[in-house]
Amino acid sequence: MNSRHVSRSFAPRLAAALLPALTLTLLTAGAAGAALNPQRVIYQKDSLYHRIFVFQDGDIVTLRFGRRDGPLTQSQISLSEPSRHLLEYSQLMFCGLLHCPAPRRALILGLGGGMIPREMRRYFPEAEIDVAEIDPEVAEVARRFFDFKTDARLNVHVSDGRMFIRRQLRRQPAPKYDIVLLDAFNSDYIPFHLMTKEFLEEVRGVLADDGVVVANVFYTNALFDAELATFLAVFGRTQAYYGATSVNAMLVAPGPRGQVLKPDEAAAIARALQEKHRFSFDLEAVARRLRPDVRPAPGTKILTDDRAPVNWLKEQKSNLPAP
Amino acid sequence: MLHAPCTRLRRAAIVAIACICGWFVMELEMLGGRILTPYFGSAVYVVMGSVIGVFLLSLSGGYVLGGWLSRKPYSEISLGGGLAIAGAWLALTPWLIAPVCDGLLNLGLDDKWGSLIAALALFALPTVILGTVSPTVVRWLTAEASESGRNAGIVLGLSTVASFAGCIVTAFYLVLLSARLTLRVSGLILFLVGCAIIVVGLRHRRLRSWEGGAEAGKGRTP
Repeated sequence: MNSRHVSRSFAPRLAAALLPALTLTLLTAGAAGAALNPQRVIYQKDSLYHRIFVFQDGDIVTLRFGRRDGPLTQSQISLSEPSRHLLEYSQLMFCGLLHCPAPRRALILGLGGGMIPREMRRYFPEAEIDVAEIDPEVAEVARRFFDFKTDARLNVHVSDGRMFIRRQLRRQPAPKYDIVLLDAFNSDYIPFHLMTKEFLEEVRGVLADDGVVVANVFYTNALFDAELATFLAVFGRTQAYYGATSVNAMLVAPGPRGQVLKPDEAAAIARALQEKHRFSFDLEAVARRLRPDVRPAPGTKILTDDRAPVNWLKEQKSNLPAP
Repeated sequence: MLHAPCTRLRRAAIVAIACICGWFVMELEMLGGRILTPYFGSAVYVVMGSVIGVFLLSLSGGYVLGGWLSRKPYSEISLGGGLAIAGAWLALTPWLIAPVCDGLLNLGLDDKWGSLIAALALFALPTVILGTVSPTVVRWLTAEASESGRNAGIVLGLSTVASFAGCIVTAFYLVLLSARLTLRVSGLILFLVGCAIIVVGLRHRRLRSWEGGAEAGKGRTP
């Protein structure tokens, strides 16, 4: 501190007087910091749907909805290395490529910080990418703080995801997507109408025959079991990629002419794709997270527009064993 | 009921009708948002705005209609019949949801107009009928003009507390159950309440005409 500006004789006495107080202050500050969050809020906005928080901690910018110290990080970027995947889930979402290695058309529900469409664009410069994001403020935040850019073939549609898909279905002919990524999270749960049988049937309507649907879910609660059962009811075949360090899991369902994979097949495809695209993460490590034959417990109820107690299921434990 | 002396029990039953209907108004309103979301999206203010708007408009129509009907001698029959119709409508609503909502979307309507018209088509009729309850039962409770304000206060106060309960219980718990099943059970209850009112009303009417006949007979006795 500025002790050199204090006279010599006075300094020890001052230090003796200040030391306990200083220690106490540092201790409490440390405790509070650990409890709250040491990160600096650089942007905060109440949108129609969320309380949006953007933090910066040195090189790392973080997007969070709901509570400042909430448990759910939506998106994270390293400003010096934007392609570095700081969160496991954004790597896992690329598992769809194992089932559909050369997507020409992708649909992403839920923008967040825009990492998935940005990286998708990086590896597939020709692909046509549609993003449906309900909250215009989130789109603005992604552009401003997370290095997200739209282009002629990468569009953000400010719309409810289900409304967007229904609009696409009404177009003649309805567009068919090779990859559909379901990643529309609220501050604490997935909106119920984006998890039901009827919704997934609409998704199936915009899915190419050899395409793949990937849904980001948490495997620890009973909503995972219900969503898995719903996927199986609609798509027939469903596999899962479990996170290693996070509780995220990807439910993956191929279209009627698409592929389900055995673990060694997935790893071989991953190696070939890694060779070709030089991903900033290890796709083979993602492939190794495949659980090919995951099934819900018998009697698990599927989610429908009529009955979808998502908030209740979220609080119940999953019946499936953790990987 | 209209001209029958208001015993304690009868007063309680009449207020209970208002409370049951108050509960159903808000239960239906919360379910309405839940039902329309899969079709018109979760742009919260759009769908809930449409539903709340339609309910307010329907209730206002129901209040006027109920006030008018309360002056008629057959008000038990009109209210009971109305509630039976509203109950039947609720029980049948599960079959109307998809055709109405899909039809509107296929016409090219957006989430705003689509959800507004869908809410009108699905929920206006039962809500108008539920709106007729308060003015009618205030009339039933009131024998003297000086009582009217107090009776109106009791009916509006208690039925609104019941609306609060219906709103919270639906939003917190009933939405976890099947929306269709909730509608069917609620419709059945409302239908039975309506039928009970008709039966009681007809009995009173017969009693009154019998008493009236006896009085007239007495008058003629030399």
